[in-house]
Amino acid sequence: MIGLDNALIRFGSRTVIEELSFSVPVGRSLAILGPNGRGKTTALRAMLGFQPLDGGKRIAPAVVGYVPQAGSSNQRLRAVDVAVMGCAARIGLFGQPGPADLETARSALQRAGAARFAESFYDRLSGGERQLVLLARALATGSPALVLDEPAAALDLANQQRLLDLLDGLRQARDKAIVFTTHDPNHALAAADDALLLMSEGPALHGPVAETITPEHLERLYGVPMRLVELSSPGGAPHRAVLPAFAGARAA
Amino acid sequence: MGGRGMVRRVVSGCAVALLMAGGAGAQQIDIKDQAGRDVKLDGPARRVVTIPMPMASGVIALDGGTGRLVGMNPLSLTAIREGILGKIFPAAAKITDSVTGTNFMPNVEALAAANPDLVIQWGGRGNDIVDPITNAGLNALLIQYGTEELTRQYMTMVATAIGRPERIGPLVEWRDRVEKEIETKTAKLPASDRPSVLYLGNALSSITASGDKGNYNAFYIDMVGARNASADLSGTVTINKEQIAQWNPDFILLNAFEPQLDVSWVYNDPILSLTKAAQNHRVYKVPLGGYRWDPPNQESPLSWMWLADLVHPELFDFDLRAEMKSAYETLYNYQLSDADIDGILWMDKQGSAAGYDRFKAK
Amino acid sequence: MTSDSTAAAETTTVRGLTRPVTIYGGLAALLLVSVLVSLCAGRFSVGPERALAILWQGVLHPGLVPSAIDERVVLLVRAPRVLLAAVAGAGLAVAGTGLQGVFRNPLVSPDILGISQGAAFGGALAITLGIWGLPLIGMVFLLGLVALVSVGFLARINGRTETVTVILAGLVVGSMFTALVSLLQFIADPESSLPAIVFWLMGSFSTATWQRVLIAAPGLLAGTALLWALRFRLNLLSLDEAEARSLGVRTERERWLVFAVVATIVGSQVAVSGIISWIGIVIPHAARLLVGHDHRVLLPSAVLLGAAFMVVIDTLARSASSAEIPLGVITALVGAPVFALLLRRHYRERKEQ
Repeated sequence: MIGLDNALIRFGSRTVIEELSFSVPVGRSLAILGPNGRGKTTALRAMLGFQPLDGGKRIAPAVVGYVPQAGSSNQRLRAVDVAVMGCAARIGLFGQPGPADLETARSALQRAGAARFAESFYDRLSGGERQLVLLARALATGSPALVLDEPAAALDLANQQRLLDLLDGLRQARDKAIVFTTHDPNHALAAADDALLLMSEGPALHGPVAETITPEHLERLYGVPMRLVELSSPGGAPHRAVLPAFAGARAA
Repeated sequence: MGGRGMVRRVVSGCAVALLMAGGAGAQQIDIKDQAGRDVKLDGPARRVVTIPMPMASGVIALDGGTGRLVGMNPLSLTAIREGILGKIFPAAAKITDSVTGTNFMPNVEALAAANPDLVIQWGGRGNDIVDPITNAGLNALLIQYGTEELTRQYMTMVATAIGRPERIGPLVEWRDRVEKEIETKTAKLPASDRPSVLYLGNALSSITASGDKGNYNAFYIDMVGARNASADLSGTVTINKEQIAQWNPDFILLNAFEPQLDVSWVYNDPILSLTKAAQNHRVYKVPLGGYRWDPPNQESPLSWMWLADLVHPELFDFDLRAEMKSAYETLYNYQLSDADIDGILWMDKQGSAAGYDRFKAK
Repeated sequence: MTSDSTAAAETTTVRGLTRPVTIYGGLAALLLVSVLVSLCAGRFSVGPERALAILWQGVLHPGLVPSAIDERVVLLVRAPRVLLAAVAGAGLAVAGTGLQGVFRNPLVSPDILGISQGAAFGGALAITLGIWGLPLIGMVFLLGLVALVSVGFLARINGRTETVTVILAGLVVGSMFTALVSLLQFIADPESSLPAIVFWLMGSFSTATWQRVLIAAPGLLAGTALLWALRFRLNLLSLDEAEARSLGVRTERERWLVFAVVATIVGSQVAVSGIISWIGIVIPHAARLLVGHDHRVLLPSAVLLGAAFMVVIDTLARSASSAEIPLGVITALVGAPVFALLLRRHYRERKEQ
């Protein structure tokens, strides 16, 4: 279980987060949406324990599987070496990864769809591939919570698809509490059970995706008219997508 | 005819300068120093600062007292405090040493406070150590280190500058006489008859030795019929004990600058104690008299005699104690006691060294 | 899974990098050869067979005091010096690696961060006050740590810090301690303390004796061993603050541990051989060019490379000419071209990929 309970965060005189409460149990996936500067990142950091709270509580397990937007190590490490870092908490201060840890790392890479470049150097991989390795690292921690910071933001469409499929797969395995921030509501539609909309005015909106990812709520959130579109896909259920109507109702 | 003629020329030259100045009014003194600069004094210098280390005792010796000296090098002061000069002239130990650092860099404030009318400084070592003096409007007399010729010249200049030209004549004559006496016996010595002598300018923190060029120690090592063990070095450099073992010198001379250094440093060392010098007990710390006997100073002939007696006992038999007594009478008007002499020669630490018996009191 | 990315993945696999074991073997061999050659080399002529025979005897009968001059030279002059150089080289290389990891900055080293200067000040202060022996070592260590703390404080390593800020902080701290040492020189007794301090500032192994080895070895070896044990942890400490903490790393505490270890290593080294620059910054880089960034492989490589390099340098310093050449001169003359070659090779490899 991961979340915040009545959290209050102030930066100087500015109140960024007020009375924010939500929790994600194991087996559910939550997408956090909001325009930039509204506190998405702050809420994420607070959940991870990096942002001290001026009020309220943080609910989280001891180690959280964190997937940053971009990994800091632009270093010549193999992907499997990056992934095995996830086992750090188990290895201890003076320990070295053993065969069991490497096994954990490899299966995490497998699960993240990164097994085929396990031996490649991390700094030679593409942005999308690196993201998968970071996901593997987070999985390797064995934490019941998985937190991703705008996971699809820097990816091209193909890689976005790949990542969303992965996230959805993880969601359907129902063995983790997943939280991810995004600025694209379609990501929530693709991979989340619930959504948290951090409104500029008024309390945040929290609920299942079907109830929260609606044009009205999204318009209120982003200040841009939104349209819900239904697309038929070959041999399957209709696909739903939310589009910003930049050119007004004409484009939708 | 060599030295004696030169001495006469130098002394008479100074006398002429004085007379001419006398003709022109106040006893103005004009000297061309060893950097080719013209030094003009309105009269004999009354307040002298000496930055080169041997010159403090040099001025005291030439002047017969401490009245003219108002500032000196810190290492001149330590020599006075540790050696016999502090006993002969107690007032000398109270003269300030803050006028310069040990690296010869003048401290202008302290210099100005001492209000000298003459500052003696090294020439040929760059303008950085001279400019502060001249910029402060003070008179600088630059002298050069290295050879016996230069030493005699600058000592003469200093004697002239302080208005005691009559003092320098006998001193130069003495140096010349002793040098000749030694050279007649050693000039023709072949290399095979010259033992190797290693002089260590530093020993305790790092070990240093010097090559032949511009090296006064090398000059008198050669003069007394030996050869410089470290001749192949360029300038003064750091060496290690392996190198000393490789040279395997016949004699080792330790500097008089490090008061905590004595011959036991060699005998207690596992490597150095196996050198020929140590095995034959030919390790000596250079004496500290009115000044340290390593560099050129007013007592140099004593150091030459000391070394000659040690290096070639079969050729030389100077009565060092008598010579010292006579020299100190002339230089400082002081009667050396036997205890004084023993102290100067480090008799307590190296009395059992080879050849030191002849330096003992009868 | 497009064919593009598969192809891309294939070209990024390990290429041109030999397995770590081969690298270790090569470096270890290099170290061994350097040590043996160094023990046979020196101003005093001892033939190689004789030198090795003496060594062998020394190893077999460690308690026996050697009596002949060549035995003494090999066992009492060269052996402790070579050993000290090797251990100091390893320690400095490892300290540099650790610092570069923790500061997430490839441009730091003990001397750039002012730690060596702080340690030197500790020693100079002790000398001026007439303190010797173990308390002197203590002061050396303590002031090295103070320097490190000052840099950490100035550069505020808790948040994201700019490379430039850290280096500037190191410059400031180093300069301050250098100035303090100059001040000490000014007031020091010109006959004993002053030359001792001056000599202290110049790095040199010429004063190496078995006694000094015993003084420095514990700190150097313990420090190196601790950093060796922390090699996986250094991978983690090299990450962003947020990432590291999310993985369960207690970043503040563990960084301090690395600092304390680095200060111990540098303190021990400065205490017996003065300020030695260069090794701490360049050996980690050279090792990285050989084996990559994974500290599990990097650290052991840095240890071996640092030890071998220092032994080679010191051998040249003491035997190339009658005069002892200052270490700093040779590290630059020998190290710079070697490093340049490594850099070129690395960038050529990158271009090919």
